[in-house]
Amino acid sequence: MTEEDLIADAHRLKGWERHRFLLMIGASIVVAIMLVAVSMKLYNSSGAAQLDLSRPGYEHVSEKSLQSEVFKGYSAVGEVTPTTIKEFQAMYAKRANQATNIDAFGGDVMSDTALSLDAPAAPTAPAQ
Amino acid sequence: MNRILSLTFMITATLVVGVMVSGSAKAEDAVPMTEEHIARIRNSCVDTQAILTQLHATDAGLRVDRGQLYESIATKLMGPFNSRLVLNRINEETLLSTAAEYEKQLQTFRLRYQQYEEAMSATLRINCVNQPVAFYDSVVDTRDKRRLTHDSVVELHRTIQKYSTAVDVFAKSLQVDKS
Repeated sequence: MTEEDLIADAHRLKGWERHRFLLMIGASIVVAIMLVAVSMKLYNSSGAAQLDLSRPGYEHVSEKSLQSEVFKGYSAVGEVTPTTIKEFQAMYAKRANQATNIDAFGGDVMSDTALSLDAPAAPTAPAQ
Repeated sequence: MNRILSLTFMITATLVVGVMVSGSAKAEDAVPMTEEHIARIRNSCVDTQAILTQLHATDAGLRVDRGQLYESIATKLMGPFNSRLVLNRINEETLLSTAAEYEKQLQTFRLRYQQYEEAMSATLRINCVNQPVAFYDSVVDTRDKRRLTHDSVVELHRTIQKYSTAVDVFAKSLQVDKS
């Protein structure tokens, strides 16, 4: 097939057929945008977003969190003797203490007073 | 060509519908507020949003740290210890049920924190100067969800202690059996 044949073929195309390459690119972009939107929706709805400290604004929090130690845990294989149970109890007590030493999400930090959103005091009636 | 176009259209339409079907805005009961209260909120809400932004970031770090600790207790301590008991043909119902209860509470904690975080993000998106009442209502909603998250934390701590007590009882019973 010569170049002339290709040009002649191109001239025989009608309407949308002449722009099918552009259409394919446009459709690909639209599909890509939709897939990204779905991914973002899943990222937010699955709870992954809440655990992602690499988001903008969380850098200082991320630096603190990365300093966590590696915890191997207790082996699921082995004998059950007073000695192995003591070993477990020591490991568990240490971890339990770390987990429970902070009253997370507690306190009164979101009270109206703390956020300066409390209603102004009603004016008292003048003494007669 | 037409087939490709219609296929592309169908895929796109399906995805658009999927994305658009999201939680609808919850109708909040309007809190009766005085004009003075609304004015106070409008005046101080920019500072309030700064505080909430800081709290949002701190709580995210707390969620990751606490979450890792709570997860590790379930997967690296309770689970392996219960497995070891089962492998040694020891049936300790209290330990198994407490670990299952802990798993459920952990799931509730994850869900409640997610709801709290979404509420907080929604609160921070509100233009509080233009919509002080909506902002206040959103703060109240966020506060309630944070309280629920805290309730989950308290429950988890209680179950961690409960498992510890159950292990102590089991250890004592084992010593009695051996002697």
